[in-house]
Amino acid sequence: MLRRAMIAAAFAAAALTGLAVQAGDEGPSDLEIAHIAYTAGEIDIRYAHLALALSDNPAVRGFAETMIRDHSAVNDAALGLLDKLGAKARDNPTSRSLLKQAAEKRAELKALSGAAFDRAYAENELAYHQFVNKTVEEVFIPAADNEEFKALLGTALKTFKIHQAHAERLVEQTR
Amino acid sequence: MRRALYGLVAGLAYASVPQTGEAETHIIEMRGLEFIPAEIDVAVGDTVTWVNADVMPHTATASDGSWDSGTMEAGDEWSLVIETEGALDYVCAFHPTMTGVINAR
Repeated sequence: MLRRAMIAAAFAAAALTGLAVQAGDEGPSDLEIAHIAYTAGEIDIRYAHLALALSDNPAVRGFAETMIRDHSAVNDAALGLLDKLGAKARDNPTSRSLLKQAAEKRAELKALSGAAFDRAYAENELAYHQFVNKTVEEVFIPAADNEEFKALLGTALKTFKIHQAHAERLVEQTR
Repeated sequence: MRRALYGLVAGLAYASVPQTGEAETHIIEMRGLEFIPAEIDVAVGDTVTWVNADVMPHTATASDGSWDSGTMEAGDEWSLVIETEGALDYVCAFHPTMTGVINAR
C-alpha cells in the first residue's frame, strides 16, 4: 500500500512536467526500474545530441557533453550490474510512454533555433531532471529489492541532482 | 590489473603516505561527485594523487588553468607534484559544483 501511494505521488509529479508514466498496482520490479532508468538516461543523451547539433552556445554545449558522459557512464554501470546478476532489463509501459513523449519533445525542440532553442533545451533539462530525480528518490530507490542495484540508483540520484543544479544555472544563463 | 591497483589506492584514501625524504603523497578520491577530502594541507614538493572512484568521468583542473588532469575515467588516477606555495583552487571541468583546494606551504 505504501509503495502504491509513493508511486501515485511521484507519477502525479510526472504529470506536472507533461510526462505521463504508468505502473501496475504493485509497483515496478527491479528489472522494470532498470529498464525505465536506462531509458530515461538514453532519452537525455538524445536530447544532448540534439543540443550539440543545433546550439552554438558554449554553456549549452558543455552541459550537453556532460549529460552524454554521465548518463552513458551510469547506463554502462547498470548494464554491467545486470550482466553480473545474469539479468535483463524488462520493457514496460512506462518506458514506452517515456520514449513516446520524448520523441514529441525532440520534435518541438528541433523546430527551434538560436536562443529560443537554447532556452527551451535548458528548461526541458531542468524539468526532466526534476521529474527523474523525484521518481528515483521517492519510487525507485524505496521499491528496489537488490541492494547493489539500490546503491547504484543512489549514486545515480546524487549525479542527477548535480545535473539538476547545473540545469538551473543553464536556465538562468539562457534567459 | 587497473581494478586491483585502484583497490589498493582507494584503501589509502584520506591518507598521507610518507615517501623517502620529506615529500609525501596525498590521496584525493573523486566519489559521489565530490573531492574527498575537499581541502588538504601539503608541503611544496609533495605529490597529490586523484583517484576517480565514481562511475562517470571527472577532471582535476586548476581554477587558474595552470594544470589539468584531462579526462579521468572510472578507476583512473592522476598525480601532480606541488611546486608552488599558496591556495590552489581546482574544479572538475565537467561538474562545476565539484570543487577543492590544496593549501601548499
